[in-house]
Amino acid sequence: MTSQELLASAHVSAATRAALEQRLADTGAAYEPQLLAPETYRLLEAVAARLFPQPERPMPIPLAPAIDQRLAEGRADGWRYDALPPDREAYRLGLGGIQEIAHSLFQADFEALAPNQQDAVIEALAGPTPPGKTWETLNAGRFFEELLAELTETYYAHPWAQDEIGYTGYADLPAWTKIGLNEKEPREA
Amino acid sequence: MPDEEIAEEGIISPTKPTVQDPLLRELLAEDETRAAAETPQEKPLPLPKPSEIVDCIVIGLGAGGAPLLSRLAQAGLKVVALEAGPWHNPEKDFATDEKAQDFLFWNDERLAAGADPLAMGKNNSGTGVGGSTLHYTAYTPRPLPDDLHIKRDFGQGEDWPLTYDDLAPYYEEVEQFIGVSGPSPYPWGPSRAKGYPLAALPLNSAAQLMVRGAEKLGIKTSPAPNAALSARYYQEGVGWREACTNRGFCQAGCSNGAKSSMDVTFIPLAVKYGADIRPNSYVTEIERNAKGEVAAVVYTQNGETHRLACKNLFLCAGSVETPRLLLLNELALTSGQVGRNLMAHPGLQVWGTFPEEVRPTKGIPGSLISQDTHRPKNADFAGGYLLQSIGVMPVTFSGQVARGRKLWGQPLRDYMRQFNHIAGINILGDCLPHADNYLELSDEKDGRQVAKPRLHFTAQENEQRMNVHAEKIMRDIWAAAGATDIWAFQRYAHVIGTARMGLSGDDAVVDRNGRAFDVPNLYICDNSVFPSALSVNPALTIMALSLRTADKFLENNK
Repeated sequence: MTSQELLASAHVSAATRAALEQRLADTGAAYEPQLLAPETYRLLEAVAARLFPQPERPMPIPLAPAIDQRLAEGRADGWRYDALPPDREAYRLGLGGIQEIAHSLFQADFEALAPNQQDAVIEALAGPTPPGKTWETLNAGRFFEELLAELTETYYAHPWAQDEIGYTGYADLPAWTKIGLNEKEPREA
Repeated sequence: MPDEEIAEEGIISPTKPTVQDPLLRELLAEDETRAAAETPQEKPLPLPKPSEIVDCIVIGLGAGGAPLLSRLAQAGLKVVALEAGPWHNPEKDFATDEKAQDFLFWNDERLAAGADPLAMGKNNSGTGVGGSTLHYTAYTPRPLPDDLHIKRDFGQGEDWPLTYDDLAPYYEEVEQFIGVSGPSPYPWGPSRAKGYPLAALPLNSAAQLMVRGAEKLGIKTSPAPNAALSARYYQEGVGWREACTNRGFCQAGCSNGAKSSMDVTFIPLAVKYGADIRPNSYVTEIERNAKGEVAAVVYTQNGETHRLACKNLFLCAGSVETPRLLLLNELALTSGQVGRNLMAHPGLQVWGTFPEEVRPTKGIPGSLISQDTHRPKNADFAGGYLLQSIGVMPVTFSGQVARGRKLWGQPLRDYMRQFNHIAGINILGDCLPHADNYLELSDEKDGRQVAKPRLHFTAQENEQRMNVHAEKIMRDIWAAAGATDIWAFQRYAHVIGTARMGLSGDDAVVDRNGRAFDVPNLYICDNSVFPSALSVNPALTIMALSLRTADKFLENNK
């Protein structure tokens, strides 16, 4: 069953339904960046679109708002690599550094590049020595890891992404009784 | 004191002139009401608290604080527990959704330094009435007796000033009280007076695969002991607790009380015997008297500052907040060991893709165990490790794929589409203390304007050799079980040892009974007192130590 069917069923608890339906309601709503400057936010959106290309979806799962909102509210996830500056600074510097790589490789803004060129910029960022002054002081490996992990966790928390991977674990009421290899309940089909 | 002040204080109710005219009286009354509505009234000052001195304050309500709280309350002492986080109603509040459950973790930022920085937050921390047990996996094997004597056996690390026999009665008591489900007899270690009170939980897919692979390699496995109920269970102070429904969301909070977290076990017991639980209470200061004893604790609760005097303090805030409070208050520092000896369990994971459907969220995550690798014959390292099959939730797994494999774009989405065919194994291994691994206060302040802790951790040669040994065995098991696309994720879990226990105040913070060597009415109980990491998950040992700490305190304070 899909998330749409499962959310309407008695297999999902009220607390779980509230969390997932809120996430769906936020999808597609207009979002004005609260912390990042408009041009930095657009760059973040463009980078997210290459880390999670969603050509099959008329409306992609939004990823950039979660980051901007978290930074605006000053929320942390309990830890930070000591090698990186505080999150707001790391994101501002790191996104600027991505723009630097784009200019170094293609003499143009990241957003203006073709998808394969944008991918080359990201490959350089993930590589051992990305070009640009930013990366002389900002740890590129750690920044890329943090950016990728945050986008990835935002993506797979969304019911559409969970449908995509066949995950139905949130429909856990009243219980799972078939838990061995190749076993599943009718609602998991 | 000047006379006029006394005179002012002496005026209790100055007499008001009585207004005789009824109309004037009405007008005056109207004026007063209007004035009251228009101008905000000054808030009345809080009444001074009655001077209250409690027998014991317990800071932190996880596996370290909750058991001893119940014991002290049962002994008739006046006890107050200060817990930084809230008191939840899991049945109503806990969602089967990882993001929605973020509130279970200690989310104030900590700095992770060293060559193997320790992930904190959801990996390694907790807050709320119940502490980290609200999201522990509930994997509760006992250590084996030689775990406590790594220095005696290998000449490295540190021995416990306690033996297995000192702890065994407490292991049994905890297992019986909270309801551990597991195999009886247990295949490793000394024979036991009592088996587990409940049969083991059913094996899930990852466990079945690990049995298959391990059998081919001649490695013995067993259903694991888990502190989650395989059947309804009666518990003092709570009544009947329901059996586990195989949700597999232990690490995001149990919603039906089947998992034996402190909020459904020792805390209700403590409350039954009169313990006063104060949630949302963040300790800012520990005050001392002229003799250097703890005299009072200052804390903020819902924006208000309180000061509570006490005869004894039990610090059970976990291996980051406990040393942080000691360092901030310059308390119990004479040994120079507070913050030192930071250890973390090697928790290397190996993942593989199987042709069968696994659906890795279902069932208790740590369904299977092997302790055949406790002291491997061909090892080139001190100590050893256990092997465990593991379930996983999708968001956690995806984050690990991002960090560990650095996949992105279409390859990441393609890999994640195999989620229902993924299964994992991991180890939980011993760790040696090292001078480079420690906790300190940084210059950066967190949201509460308190110095952020910085944790330095670099896996040393012993941990690296253990990881190499374990990775090969786990890859072999997974290959024998039929996995493809096998990959390893390096990870360290549980922060341990930052206020260690020992025989002397020269090299330890607390004695074998948990009492600080240099502050006679201060006791510490959580994983910070562990002298060595042990090659099993720490929660069961923390609970056992907690009961023992309370018993020794009561014995010595008769």
